[in-house]
Amino acid sequence: MKRSTIIFFVVFVGVVLVYLFKGNNNNTEKLPLRFVSLAWQEAAIATNKSIVNEWNAIHPDLQVEYIQGTWNSAHDYLITAFETGDVPDIFHYESSVIIDYAMRGYLTDLSQYISTEMKNDILDVAWATVTRPNGEVTGIPFLIESLVVLYNKSLLEKEKIIPPTPEAPWTWDDLQATARKLTKDFNGDGVIDQYGVGMGLRNSANIIMNTSISFGGSFFRKSGNHFVVEVTDNEKKLLQTIINMLHNDKSVSPASIGETGAGMIPGFFSGRYAMLVGIGSWARQQLVENAPQNFRWGVMPPLKAKTQMYGASTQTLSVPKKSKRAKEAMFFIDFMLSYKNTARLALNDWMIPARKSCLAMPEFQDTLGGWDITCSVVSTLSAGSWIGAPGYVEWKSRVANPVLQELFAGRLSVDEAARRIEHESNIVLSRYKKYGEVW
Amino acid sequence: MKSNSALSKLAIHALIILFIIFLLFPLLWVLASSLKSTQEIYSGSPTIFPQQISFDHYLSVINGQLIFRSMWNSVVVGVISTILVILIAVPSAYAMVRYKSIVNNGILGWILVSQIFPVILIMIPLYMVLRNIGLTDSLTGLTLIYVVWSLPFVLWMMHGYVKSIPFELEEAAVLDGATRSQVIFKVLMPLLLPAIGASALFSFISAWNEFFFALVLLKSPELGTLQVELARYTGMEGQARTGPLAAASIIATIPSMLLFIFMRKWLTTGLVSGALKG
Repeated sequence: MKRSTIIFFVVFVGVVLVYLFKGNNNNTEKLPLRFVSLAWQEAAIATNKSIVNEWNAIHPDLQVEYIQGTWNSAHDYLITAFETGDVPDIFHYESSVIIDYAMRGYLTDLSQYISTEMKNDILDVAWATVTRPNGEVTGIPFLIESLVVLYNKSLLEKEKIIPPTPEAPWTWDDLQATARKLTKDFNGDGVIDQYGVGMGLRNSANIIMNTSISFGGSFFRKSGNHFVVEVTDNEKKLLQTIINMLHNDKSVSPASIGETGAGMIPGFFSGRYAMLVGIGSWARQQLVENAPQNFRWGVMPPLKAKTQMYGASTQTLSVPKKSKRAKEAMFFIDFMLSYKNTARLALNDWMIPARKSCLAMPEFQDTLGGWDITCSVVSTLSAGSWIGAPGYVEWKSRVANPVLQELFAGRLSVDEAARRIEHESNIVLSRYKKYGEVW
Repeated sequence: MKSNSALSKLAIHALIILFIIFLLFPLLWVLASSLKSTQEIYSGSPTIFPQQISFDHYLSVINGQLIFRSMWNSVVVGVISTILVILIAVPSAYAMVRYKSIVNNGILGWILVSQIFPVILIMIPLYMVLRNIGLTDSLTGLTLIYVVWSLPFVLWMMHGYVKSIPFELEEAAVLDGATRSQVIFKVLMPLLLPAIGASALFSFISAWNEFFFALVLLKSPELGTLQVELARYTGMEGQARTGPLAAASIIATIPSMLLFIFMRKWLTTGLVSGALKG
């Protein structure tokens, strides 16, 4: 090799190393608060950034750095941060996960920092998703994730079906009967061209858990200080209803089994599914922005089983215990989640705001975008009995989702699925019992 | 006989074409999605080719996120780590092959064992070590990680390549009066170039595609690498900003694709030469 080539390589490596090290001389004196946000839709990101900019403009001494995280990797990112101590000062996540973090001692108890205005204005059901029995608050809830039923207005009108109203909601039997009516084989070739219902059942634990409350179930029950899983007749009735629609009257599209809620939306646009059941309220954003011209849709009030009560989870802002500036972090959260900013965040993420004052705003009672019916479900929401169950997140991914997937694919009967869920759940939960984690 | 052979040739070509379509289809789909409007992407009756070409997603990617900055970061980290890996691996492999020692087999065994540890297992101790020397949230720290991460496998590859070069060539050069460095640089290096190319490509692609280390180690948004940036287009419950994600993925593919085009000869020769016995 020529000497000039070697010199070139040495100089090249030297120059780049100097470049790399150059960026490392940060002044650590007045570092900004680090805020990891999981907003991902364009409008939601813009709103988050804009609120942070507004804060930075009026707080030159306490700047906030906006860091965009991602939902898929947030758990690994945060666990590593908690364990190494190099934590963000504020992070955005969801109630069912931060509960686990709180039990492991990763989070600051925010109860001492919450203003009376915020305490009174945030809905009780939202507080219930983040408050431990000892009063410790693990995060500030600001958006409520709820399930809705969306319908194609034109397809219902064609069959002269009148959609339900909050005063006269449909029961699951009504849904099943309507879905049968809307399931069509137009050309008589034996292949169904239009299904009454599409459901995103790929990871169905969330839908099933939240819906089971309306059937009088909840899967989780407290036994002494610990949680156990029981699949009673109430939960079985919900599972059997879906199985009947999937495999007996075939009014639920079989594509549902392998799809997420988001994956069902193109079929909803094309008229393949007349209704989308159990989809998150965020889906309305996709409908507003991406639906074909002249596509008319609406939101139905929650379906009634024994009751109209459904489970809810919330999106939250939390402060890690290892953050050295919890008070300042909470000062920022107070600003970030003021009722005006909460309204902006909810509108741009198409979710229900967790504050009562926001719900009273005209924007959240608008018929356009289905805000009126979406927000009216607030009175029917409840925090599930699984809130605080140690190992719930693992249970969802290792037990509930796979067993339900097998059930809906027709490889298990409802009774077999129930037995497996109970057996496998209690193995997972007993491991957490051993760790001594208590809500 | 002739028609039989022509038929089998035709069948082979047809199979190859089908295989190429199979391989190219995801790329074509991503390219098409990047050029479709969001409404078209969500249309219930998707088409392979866009009905109307739109560059909106490319504009949104270029204006909205740190795509070029993150691409530059990935290039810097990838190139530096690759150069360092090759600079260390080539002489090490040469020494291990030519200077027989009882520890050589142990070292080779350890290289293989080191590959079985899952990243998550070593992440926290690794982070602690880097933090103690002030290299978290820096591209230097990430570069070092990538060097350590791909060095064992590259060393293993280079070991095979060096072993495939007959020792007699070096002996002949020495007999002709060549010094040790002349033997290495004038005899061995030209023969090893395809292998170095293949190993360098492997090392670069490993760094280019790596996600988890970059996610955890780099906290400042302006230091993020391409993979971390791409992940930001995905959302909860399997949702994604499909159009911008497709456009960003296409932009992200360009450098590695160019590298493959320029180095494909080295790659194929290098891979094959490593498989031969000397």
